[in-house]
Amino acid sequence: MNTSNTPMLEVRDLKMHFPIGGGFFNRLKLGGKGVRLENPVVQAVNGVSFKIGRGEIMALVGESGCGKSTVAKTIARIHKPTSGEVRIEGEDIAGYGFAEMLPVRAKMQMIFQDPYASLNPRQRVRDIVAEPLLEQTKTAQGRKDVPARIEALLAKVGLNSEHAGRYPHQFSGGQRQRIGIARALSVTPGLIVADEPVSALDVSIQAQILNLMKDLRDEFGLAYLFISHDLSVVHHIADRVGVMYLGSMVENAPRDVLFAKPRHPYTRALLSAAPSIKEKRDKEEIVLSGEVPSALNLPSGCCFRTRCPFAWDRCARERPALQDVGDDQTVACHLIDEPERDTA
Amino acid sequence: MMTNDTQNPLLAVRDLRTYFHTFSGTVKAVNGVSFEIGEGEVMGLVGESGGGKSVVGFSVLGLIDEPGKIEGGEILLDGQDLVTAGEDRLREVRGREISMVFQDPMTSLNPLHTVGRQMDEVLRLHTKLDADARHQACVEMLESVGISQAAERLKAFPHQFSGGMRQRVVIAIALLARPRLIIADEPTTALDVTIQSQILKLMRQQIADKGASMILITHDLAVVSEMADHITVLYCGNVVERGKTRDLIETPSHPYTRGLIDSIPDTAHRHDRLMQIPGSVPDIRNLPKGCNFRDRCPRAQALCAQQEPVLTKQHATLWAACHYPLKPGETA
Repeated sequence: MNTSNTPMLEVRDLKMHFPIGGGFFNRLKLGGKGVRLENPVVQAVNGVSFKIGRGEIMALVGESGCGKSTVAKTIARIHKPTSGEVRIEGEDIAGYGFAEMLPVRAKMQMIFQDPYASLNPRQRVRDIVAEPLLEQTKTAQGRKDVPARIEALLAKVGLNSEHAGRYPHQFSGGQRQRIGIARALSVTPGLIVADEPVSALDVSIQAQILNLMKDLRDEFGLAYLFISHDLSVVHHIADRVGVMYLGSMVENAPRDVLFAKPRHPYTRALLSAAPSIKEKRDKEEIVLSGEVPSALNLPSGCCFRTRCPFAWDRCARERPALQDVGDDQTVACHLIDEPERDTA
Repeated sequence: MMTNDTQNPLLAVRDLRTYFHTFSGTVKAVNGVSFEIGEGEVMGLVGESGGGKSVVGFSVLGLIDEPGKIEGGEILLDGQDLVTAGEDRLREVRGREISMVFQDPMTSLNPLHTVGRQMDEVLRLHTKLDADARHQACVEMLESVGISQAAERLKAFPHQFSGGMRQRVVIAIALLARPRLIIADEPTTALDVTIQSQILKLMRQQIADKGASMILITHDLAVVSEMADHITVLYCGNVVERGKTRDLIETPSHPYTRGLIDSIPDTAHRHDRLMQIPGSVPDIRNLPKGCNFRDRCPRAQALCAQQEPVLTKQHATLWAACHYPLKPGETA
């Protein structure tokens, strides 16, 4: 099954809706045709599809509430998707239960945003790093090799064996993130889902962690799903970038294509809003008004139309689908069909 | 003109020392920081966590609580020292002459009072306006920060606003009494990038309109470089470099500033690896002798371990505390 053209990860039409029911009386609504029991759902992810090849780094960017972290957590099966497929090396894991997930976890691991909350404060570093490995190794012989492997892993992420006996609170944020990376690497996965792995770190430490993640990719041929809100970080690390807005993918392209000629108005606004230490030149400036609408009550048609400077009546009627515009770039926007409306 | 030469600065901080006396030792969070801000100027205060930048902001407003204490130095507002001023004088200053915008718009508003009441409080304390005039002033201020239907929104509670809107309210409150100096502590760090650009634009415009000065405290060099006239870089409670924004960003002379700038991924030029500053910030209770940065510095030599460098004039408008500063164009 490990044929080289099966993507490491393939996501098809993934949906994740969270019911926010509350109690019976909260949901009870009067009026219209008598008494109704409402079932409000947050449509966090609304039909997202993409692929990640072996050794590829795919980044998902977007603002808070766009569903990028939910996509990551659904792929890592922290959430069970409402519908859609999540294929790891061709195997659909969307409906798997806890026991069925165990062998999958040897192929896919996760790195979390907050290095202060993602390590058990009462475990020593050695036990933290060993835990996924022990979960996967049931033979006595295999378990004998674990300590040596832990030491090698810690060295790989720039910690030494002296650190193995310490507790998480004895480390700085950057070092804790290294421990998190060592833990993810312990089972030699092919895919690492990294949810904002450097957002909580200072810029000089952030550079260390990004360099480390890149080195590890080159050494082990890892694929990353890299979630970030920071465009400059994404530009540095990613091979491919998907831009999300309100639960939908609005644009997906190779990094250089996306940064050189973004097509979706939201991507363009995002790129022009990012502050830069370089002096401003003739930067295209699309300033968005307003804020992201609630995922409880999505706008009709295109989810971005309430903030889009180009929106017209078609955008309210029809939800644009991702379409290929060449250069391996796909965009979900009606402007592609009617470019004369693009007046920027 | 360089800030140091400003004739009558609005705010002059000289050799400020704010220490925290904890059981595990004295934390010298701010250890001899000096800077000046003229009328209408925007100064960026930059550094990593633990650099002491927020403590400088709190010290200026006299908001240092036990176990912290201002141990020395002067904070001169129009030549009048705030360190030795009494609590009554500080109450007059806070909100009236110097106001503050905090990082987290979720926690810096009182959830139990309407936005209108929290805005009104500033005017009640600092002006002699009657209720109608105060209401009118609040409505106008809320409109000027881009909140529509302001009269209606005054009756709303903070939780009824989104993060970006709440930060607009916080900015409106900070500007209400027409302060001469605004201290903004990471004002956009909690916000999304499209909202951040809205808020930065708003702050720039409001400050220019009202002729106020600003200290912008942030870890984000990109934000500072777009907003500030000059920049002061802090490391472990000391000023390591200061100067005009473009000079400091383009040809920094301190290796730490160089390292900070080089660790930002650059969307224009992609390098395979980012420059990184090795190691991490030392334990501030237990700083090394000599230069605080020497353990992480690629240029460090024997002298750096013996003698603490002092701020000296470098090229262009820069002042740096380094024994072996970088020349323009030199890399660390």
